[in-house]
Amino acid sequence: MCGIIGYTGHRAANDVLIESLKRLEYRGYDSAGIGIIGEKLEIFKEIGEISMLQHSIPKIKGNLGIGHTRWATHGKVSKENAHPHLSCDKKIAVVHNGIIENFKTLREELENKGHIFTSQTDSEVIIHLIEEEYKGNLEQAVSSSLKKIQGSYAIVVICEDEPEKLVGARNESPLVIGVGDNENFFASDVTALLKFTNRVIYLDDGEHCVITKNSIHIFDRNNAEIQKKENTIEWDFNDAKKSGFPHFMLKEIYEQPNSVQRVLRGRVLEINRSIELPDNVERLLSDTIDSIHIVACGTSLYSGMVGKYLIEKITNIPVFVEMSSEYRYFGTKDRSSLVVFITQSGETADTLGALKKAKNAGNRTLVVTNVIGSTATRIADGFVLTQCGPEIGVAATKTFTSQMLSLLLIALKIATMRKELGSDEIYSYIRNLKDIPRQIRQVLAQSDKIADMAKHLKDATSVFFIGRGVNYPLSLEGALKLKEISYIHAEGFAAGEIKHGPFALLTKDTPVVAIVTRDATYDKIISNIGEIKARGPQIIAIADEKDTEIEKHADFVLRFPTNTGLLSCVSITVILQLLAYHVAKLRGCSIDKPRNLAKSVTVE
Amino acid sequence: MKAVILAAGEGKRLRPLTETMPKVMLPVANKPVLEYVFDAVRNSGISEIIVVVGYKKEVIMEYFREYDGIDIIYVVQDKQLGTAHALLQAKKHVIDSFIVLSGDNIIDQKSISKLIHNESEYSMLVKENLHPSKYGVVTAEKNILKELVEKPPNETLKRFVSTGIYKFSTSIFDTIENATSQGDYSLSSVIQSTVEQGKKISTIFADLWMDIAYPWDFLSINETMAHSAPSSLGGSIEKGVTLKGKVSIGNNTNIYSGCYIVGPVIIGDGCEIGPNACIFPSTAIGNNSVIHPFSEIRNSIIMNDVHIGSNSFISHSIVGRGNTIGHNFSSMMGKSTMEVEGEFKKLDDIGAIVGADCSIGSHVVIDPGKIIGTRCTLGSMNRIIKNVSSNSKVM
Repeated sequence: MCGIIGYTGHRAANDVLIESLKRLEYRGYDSAGIGIIGEKLEIFKEIGEISMLQHSIPKIKGNLGIGHTRWATHGKVSKENAHPHLSCDKKIAVVHNGIIENFKTLREELENKGHIFTSQTDSEVIIHLIEEEYKGNLEQAVSSSLKKIQGSYAIVVICEDEPEKLVGARNESPLVIGVGDNENFFASDVTALLKFTNRVIYLDDGEHCVITKNSIHIFDRNNAEIQKKENTIEWDFNDAKKSGFPHFMLKEIYEQPNSVQRVLRGRVLEINRSIELPDNVERLLSDTIDSIHIVACGTSLYSGMVGKYLIEKITNIPVFVEMSSEYRYFGTKDRSSLVVFITQSGETADTLGALKKAKNAGNRTLVVTNVIGSTATRIADGFVLTQCGPEIGVAATKTFTSQMLSLLLIALKIATMRKELGSDEIYSYIRNLKDIPRQIRQVLAQSDKIADMAKHLKDATSVFFIGRGVNYPLSLEGALKLKEISYIHAEGFAAGEIKHGPFALLTKDTPVVAIVTRDATYDKIISNIGEIKARGPQIIAIADEKDTEIEKHADFVLRFPTNTGLLSCVSITVILQLLAYHVAKLRGCSIDKPRNLAKSVTVE
Repeated sequence: MKAVILAAGEGKRLRPLTETMPKVMLPVANKPVLEYVFDAVRNSGISEIIVVVGYKKEVIMEYFREYDGIDIIYVVQDKQLGTAHALLQAKKHVIDSFIVLSGDNIIDQKSISKLIHNESEYSMLVKENLHPSKYGVVTAEKNILKELVEKPPNETLKRFVSTGIYKFSTSIFDTIENATSQGDYSLSSVIQSTVEQGKKISTIFADLWMDIAYPWDFLSINETMAHSAPSSLGGSIEKGVTLKGKVSIGNNTNIYSGCYIVGPVIIGDGCEIGPNACIFPSTAIGNNSVIHPFSEIRNSIIMNDVHIGSNSFISHSIVGRGNTIGHNFSSMMGKSTMEVEGEFKKLDDIGAIVGADCSIGSHVVIDPGKIIGTRCTLGSMNRIIKNVSSNSKVM
C-alpha cells in the first residue's frame, strides 16, 4: 500500500526521503514523490521506480520534507495523482495513505468555494480543506480539517510559512514517529526508519502530532496534549537487506529453519514437557472455550485453515475460519467463542475492522502477528508474536510457516490445560516440532531438483493443486504462491471436490500438483490421482520420503521428510514455495514486487 | 579500504562435516570460523567486505544477514577452480588498495591492522609453523619476499609459511588474468610469478593465525578459542546448578537443577540441559540443543539442534548439526589412527566425529576415531567399530 515518510533534522532531507522510500518499495507502488522546504516549498513526482524519481531531482537544499509511494486506489497512475498534493497557493503540501469516504461532497463544497483541483484522487480534498482552515497555525488547521473527514487516513503535512514543523495524523491507517537525536521522523512503517533510528512512538487512531527537529508533541481527539511511550525496535537494519540472495523471497524461504526456531524458542520446553505462552494469552486460553473463530485474509487465511485442522485434531474444539472482509460485516458474534485474528503486519485494514467488531461485541480476542506494537496488538486482549523479523517479499513465506506453528502451539497449550494430551503425547509433539528445522534444511537442499520440476510448470496456462485434510489449505497456499508471483492461473482444491465440477477444466495441458501424506485418506488421494491421470494431465506428487508406492501413480515426485501427519505441513509448504519461486524465476517475473499487489493491505 | 574474503571452497578434508555446510561455516566456540575473520576485518576499521562464495553459499548468506557494522557484498564463484580465480571474481568491486583473506583461517585484528598500515603496495602476513610442508613456505630477506613454494616435498628448515592474507593494489588483477588464461588458478603461483617479475612484496609476521585442515584440528582450536570467548550468562539457571570457571550461557537457555559445568564451556541460545548433567572443559554446545539428565560431555563440539538422550557420555568428539541421539550413548575415547583423503594421522585422545542429521538409537557405542557420515541411522545396541559412510543405515 501507499507508504509515507516525513523528516526534519540535520541531514539533507532529499537523501533521507529517497533512502526511506526505497525501504518502503516492498509494499508495492506505482508512483512516488517528495516535497521539501528549502528556500520555498518544492515538489517532485515521478511514475515508476524510486530510482527514476531520485535521478529527476535536482540538488535541493532543505532539511525538512515529506515523501510518498502511491498504490493507486482513486484515480489512475499519473504524475498528477501522485503525492504530495499542493494547496492552491502552493504553500502547503500533504501526503496521505487511506481512503476518504466523503471526498465527493467535500470536493464539491471546496470547488464551490473556488479551490482548483488538479488530480482525481480523494487525497487532494485534504490539502484544500487545510488551506481553507489555515490561519497561521498548521496543527490547528489540520485538526479542524480532519473533523470534517470520514474515512481512513495517515497524513503528514508541511507548510512553507512554518518551515520548522511537520504535522502528522492517523485514523485507521498506520503512522509512527521515529525519534532521533536532533532529528525526527514520520513513517507509515518502521522498516523505512531502521537505517536512521530504532526508537519509535506509535500513534493511535484520532491522534495527531507536531514534530520539529528537537520536539515531539502529541494530541488526542480533543486536542489535549498526551504523553506516549517510546518503543525500541529490535530488528536490525540489515534484516531488511537481501544478503546476497537474488530475491527477498528466496532469502526468506532460506531463513525458515531459523524463523521456525524463533517461534519455538523459549516457548517449547522439551525436558519440562511444557508449552509456555505469554501470561495474558494463557489466561485467555484457560477460560471456557466452546468454539474458536479464526479470522484472516490471504495467506494468513490459509494458515488459519491449517490451524483449524490442527486445533480440532488436538483439542476437539470446533473451529470456524472466516475471511476478515466478510466476518466484519456478516460474522456471527458468538460471545462464548474465542476469536483468533491472523495478520502479518498487524495493520491489515479488513482484519482490524473485524477485530474491532469482535471486541465491541464482547468476544475474547487473540492476535497472531509478526509486528509488536502494531495496531492489532494494541486492540486485542492478547497476542502471540511469530517473531520472524521483517518480511519484505510481497509473497508471504516465513510468516506463513510461523503462523501455522503459532496456531499449533496455541492448540497444544489448550490441550495441556484441559489435560486432553498426556505428558508422553506432548513430549512426542515437542520432539517432532524440534525436528522441523532440520526437515526444512533437507527440503532446501533439494532446491535444484525443485527448480528442475519447475520446468514442467513454466509454460502451463493453468495449474491445479489438490490435497485432503490439512493438505487442502496447503493446496490453496501453493496455488496462491504460484499465481501471485508467476501470474499462472492456479487453483487449489480439496481432492474429493475435484469431480464435483473442476474436473470439467482438466485437460492434458493442466498439470496437477498433488500433496500426498500417508494418513487415513492415502488410498483416497491415490484414487483421485488415478481419475485425474485418466484425463491426461501430468501429475507432480509431493510425497513422504518413505512412500514407495507413489512413483507408480505420479509422473514426478518431490519428497518431504517423514514427520507425524500434522507436522509435515511445514516441509510441504517449503516445497510449494520453492516450486512457485522457481517457476516465476524461469518466467522472468518480478518476484519481490508482483504486479498490482501490495505487502500489507491497509485499505479496505 | 575493502577486504576480499575467499569462502567458496567445500573443504573436502573435513567431510562429512562439510557435506551440509561450507568449511568456513563450521563452528569454533559456537561461532563460524568466517565470523572470526569478519570480526577481525571489521574491528581493524574496514568498511566493506566482498565475500567470494560458491559451495553451499546460501548457508553463509543466511547466517550473516544480521551481521552488523559493515557492508557485505557477495560474489559467486560457480566452479571452485582455485584461489586466484576466486579473487578475480571480486575484481569489479575493488578500487585501489585492498586486502585478501581466506575465510577458513582464524586471524586476529592486530595482524590485519599491521597489514593495512604497511606502506608497500603489496604485502603479506606470514607465520611460523611446525609443519611447513603442508603450506606455502616463505623465504624472505629483510622482510621482502624472495620465494614462495607451495607444499615443498621435503621438510626444510624454513619455518615460515604464507597465511594467504595479502594486501594488493588492483594491478594484481593483470597478473592473475595472465595466470588464469594459462590455466593456473592458484594465488600462490601468482605471487611467485609476481616476485619473479621483480615486484616487492613485504612480509609481516602475524600474531595469531590458525588453520583448520583436518577434523581433529577443530577440537584443539575450539579449546583455544573457548578460553578467549566473551562470557555472559543469559537464560535461566535453576537453583542447585554449579558453574565453575569461564561459562557462557545463551538467551532462552534452561539449565536445570543439579548440573555441574566447568569452563571453558559455551552454551548457545534456546538449549535445555539437565537435570544433573555434567559439562567439562572445553566444550561448545550450539543453539537449540538438548542434553538430557545424567549425561556427561567433555572437550567436545556439539553443534546446533542436537538432541542427546540421558546417561550419555561424549568426549573429544564432534557432533554435527541436527543429530538425534538416544539414551546411554557412548563415544569411546582413546588412541586411533585416522585417515583423511589418503593421509594418516595418529591421535592419542580422540572420540567420534558424527556428521549432520544422523539418527542414533539408544545404547550405541562408537569406537575412538570413527567417523559417521551425514544422515546415517544407527540402530540401538550397536557398537560401531568402522567408519560409516553418509546416508547409510546400521541396523
